Amino acid sequence: MGAAANPNMSMAVPQGGATPTTPNTYQRASMANLGALQTYANPGAAAANMMNPYENQVVQQTLRDVGQQALKAQNVLGAQAQSAGAFGGSRHGIAEAEMAKNYTQQMADQAARMRQTGYNQAMGNAFTAAQGLQGAGQQAFNMGQAINQQQMQQGAMQQAAMQSLIDAAKNQYQGYTRAPQAGLAAMFGGAGLTDATKGSSSTFQPGLMDYLTTAASTFYGMGR
Amino acid sequence: MSGGKGGRSNTETTMPKFAETALQQGIGMATDMSALGYTPYYGPDVAAFSPQQQAAFEGTNQMADAFGMPSGSGQQYMPQAQTFEGGIQGYSSAPAFEQSVDQLAMQRPGQADYLESFSIDPMTGTPGSRAGINQPVALEMQGGRRGK
Repeated sequence: MGAAANPNMSMAVPQGGATPTTPNTYQRASMANLGALQTYANPGAAAANMMNPYENQVVQQTLRDVGQQALKAQNVLGAQAQSAGAFGGSRHGIAEAEMAKNYTQQMADQAARMRQTGYNQAMGNAFTAAQGLQGAGQQAFNMGQAINQQQMQQGAMQQAAMQSLIDAAKNQYQGYTRAPQAGLAAMFGGAGLTDATKGSSSTFQPGLMDYLTTAASTFYGMGR
Repeated sequence: MSGGKGGRSNTETTMPKFAETALQQGIGMATDMSALGYTPYYGPDVAAFSPQQQAAFEGTNQMADAFGMPSGSGQQYMPQAQTFEGGIQGYSSAPAFEQSVDQLAMQRPGQADYLESFSIDPMTGTPGSRAGINQPVALEMQGGRRGK
């Protein structure tokens, strides 16, 4: 993947306390959350930002269109009055005034309807944007947390492996420093310096009766 | 025991010579070993946090910072990990142990001296005054009942 393929990669915060120049995933989540809250707190202001910047142009164009129609209608009315020989008369004046009133009302209605529609649209867009911000913020937060947990898990595995190395070294050291005791234990235990190695010896010193008995036995035996 | 008038039998429990020799050697060894004293361990005890863990810690700090919550950003809690032979990174309890021993010698010198008198001088290897080898022996008790 190219370095510029993932814009999030360029937003990674450097290690070692360097000041981040672009927001990290949590900052983006926080900003999105704040933006959504601001919309909910003041939807009118948010809607104002969402208004169609070309709305005025559209409304003005519509008013001009209606004005053009009014002008054409006025011309038609004048022609009709002329052919009827009533041009400039009171009836012609009344008809013109009535027509002007109708067109003015039409222009006002159209403009109001367009502006109301525009406002409603902007309000809807603002809430939609707020919801989008909420979702995007939550997603950014979740992604950050998922990565964080992965790092924590992998890091714990690495630390456990390192701890095993240390424990093994400590065990070896204990074996080394306790070697004399082990030797002594082997000597007393393994070499069998126990009761089994004790022996007994019996000695007998004969007395007078023993000598007499022996002599008598010998004499008796010779007599037979 | 008695074999009649004037006769006498006697039974003695004895130990073979090889066993007696080994016993004497063993007692000699034990006497010397008793003066060995404590052999401190100066190696690592606890593994240092891995770079992945430190990254996760930093991530948690960033999370708290982003939402305006208190965090441990820029604060050092654990001491600087040492690098030992073989690339092992960790923390050793040896400095704290040495400090405790020194503190005992400073605050309770009599007890510290007494304690050390049972074992060898760790620098010179000379047995302490109360080491087994320097213990007084009652000569009249040597050799058992008949002085053998």
